Amino acid sequence: MHPAITKTLVICLALLSLAGLSCRSVDLPTVGTPTRDVRDDLGKTVRVPEKIERAISLAPSLTEMIFAIGAGDRLVGVTTYCNFPAGTASIEKVGDTQSPNIEKIIALKPQIVFISTASQLEAFQKTLDEQAIAVYVTNPTSLTEIFANLRQLGDLFGEPERAQSLLGTLSARVAEVSKEGNIQGGHRVFIQISNEPLFTIGKDSFLTELVELAGGVSVTKEVATAYPKLSKETAAALDPDVIFLSDSDDNREPNPAFKNSNAVKNGRVYRINADIISRPGPRLVDALEEIASKLDSRRTSASPGNSNVDR
Amino acid sequence: MIDRRILSWIVLVAALLLALALAAAIGSERLSFFDLTEQQAAILFDIRLPRVLLGACVGASLAVAGASLQALLRNPLAEPYLLGVSNGAALGTMIAFVFFEQFAFARPVMAFAGAGLATFTVYQMARSRAGMNVERLVLSGVIVTTFLSSIIVLLTSLLDAARLRGFTFWLLGDLSQATMNGFYMTLAASVIGTIVLTSQARPLNLMMIGERDAMDFGVEVSRVRLIVFGIASLLVGTAVAASGSVGYVGLIVPHLVRLALGSDNRHVIPFSAMAGAIFVVLADTVARTAIAPRELPVGAITALIGAPLFIYLLRKN
Repeated sequence: MHPAITKTLVICLALLSLAGLSCRSVDLPTVGTPTRDVRDDLGKTVRVPEKIERAISLAPSLTEMIFAIGAGDRLVGVTTYCNFPAGTASIEKVGDTQSPNIEKIIALKPQIVFISTASQLEAFQKTLDEQAIAVYVTNPTSLTEIFANLRQLGDLFGEPERAQSLLGTLSARVAEVSKEGNIQGGHRVFIQISNEPLFTIGKDSFLTELVELAGGVSVTKEVATAYPKLSKETAAALDPDVIFLSDSDDNREPNPAFKNSNAVKNGRVYRINADIISRPGPRLVDALEEIASKLDSRRTSASPGNSNVDR
Repeated sequence: MIDRRILSWIVLVAALLLALALAAAIGSERLSFFDLTEQQAAILFDIRLPRVLLGACVGASLAVAGASLQALLRNPLAEPYLLGVSNGAALGTMIAFVFFEQFAFARPVMAFAGAGLATFTVYQMARSRAGMNVERLVLSGVIVTTFLSSIIVLLTSLLDAARLRGFTFWLLGDLSQATMNGFYMTLAASVIGTIVLTSQARPLNLMMIGERDAMDFGVEVSRVRLIVFGIASLLVGTAVAASGSVGYVGLIVPHLVRLALGSDNRHVIPFSAMAGAIFVVLADTVARTAIAPRELPVGAITALIGAPLFIYLLRKN
């Protein structure tokens, strides 16, 4: 046979076999199971099964929440970033939070997929809608809303008592912290999300509220958006008393703009596990306790009066 | 009447000084210049001035690289970005960041190596037995650019999310990571680069007529080519290592200079240096203050001004 013809044939065969692989039949979620309508955080009506048996979480915070209310065994898919609790290790990974694999998601036959606006996957929702997979979006912007999410999830998964008792414990821990923290509040706190470029928290971040609950005040609480890139000039002028670093490879040190700040001069720079501080889930209360204890433990050595620009 | 060129020199030097003074005066923090507190002095000398000065050097480097490449290749579209030089530098910087983070000088060195390698590849691809073909060169540049872009995308996909955010910002051109060391390095490169390339202005003028004609006039075409490619790589490499990819400077600035002064490279090259400095310093002032205390990447501003301006110039001519 002529080599060109052989080549064409081989290519055609390869393409055909690929096509054959991709049209393996996919069963859509069984129709006929009883459903009910609920509203998610975006106000969208979602038809969910009465009893959720197969769910996928596309956010580490949601995975942690679902485990916390005792429904982790019903997760059939999570993201590669979902590393807590230990039970997540054995669950199928459907890609990272940036680009989940839609084919894998469909193949896992979920009854419902959970998405958090925190992982910026709103666009992905459309793709799932087209596949007739129920999508539930959470959008927690404060500890109160995180707690509300826990209650909703408890309700969705048929674990309301478990959720209730968890909320009881968490609320008690928050109350305990706030009680102490409010005694001597007012530590001027800067949360550094990344060093270069300098990203911090703004008024829309749940961490702004968290700092306040811990007895401090975020010096960037007036800045627009949730995670703004901040001018270093402003950073230097803000002169925080305490700096918390969201601990990651490129965020181990305070930005050079802080070299003359009270926080650096007094050695009040702390690293906090990035997973705990960045996920709007139940472990945010751990972050709260950690921030509060750092603000508290050295309260006596707090900075001397600050004569410079005060705002 | 004063010579138009002397007048232009005076005007440009004055404009540059004015731009630098303006940029030093404005920022997200208001400074009381006649009575600086210790903190304000730190803001001015440690944060604002290094950034303004670095911006000036980056602008000069990119504009000079653009001006000389355009002359060499006899193509007004020849620009560090279009030829893959910037992407080569960007990839080099990223590799330095990922693998050689512990060495302070890895970034500029790798950026220069990347820029040089990209230029060399484009040049080899474009060269044929018939000599250098300009269309082929621009086409090779586009191919190398897109190829390098895809490697950059691949690398950013492999990096974790926190680093990704930094890189996305940096790829758009960002002067916020300015340091005095970065400034000194870019200053040295831009001054040496501008002097060397200005010294090649006469042969470049002849080569703009045609390489064959230039050879008849005794120009060592291949040597000039080597110098321009080498120095342009150095300029783009140091600029990209310090500030990422600030676009459109190498395209717009030499164009404006040529519109104002004609195409004699003895003037186009040094004037482009100053005009490029002014352009980036002013664009970065906007980037620093427009949504203060937040910041925009300067590359977004230069593109925002550069792209419409370029279309306007293209239609006008």
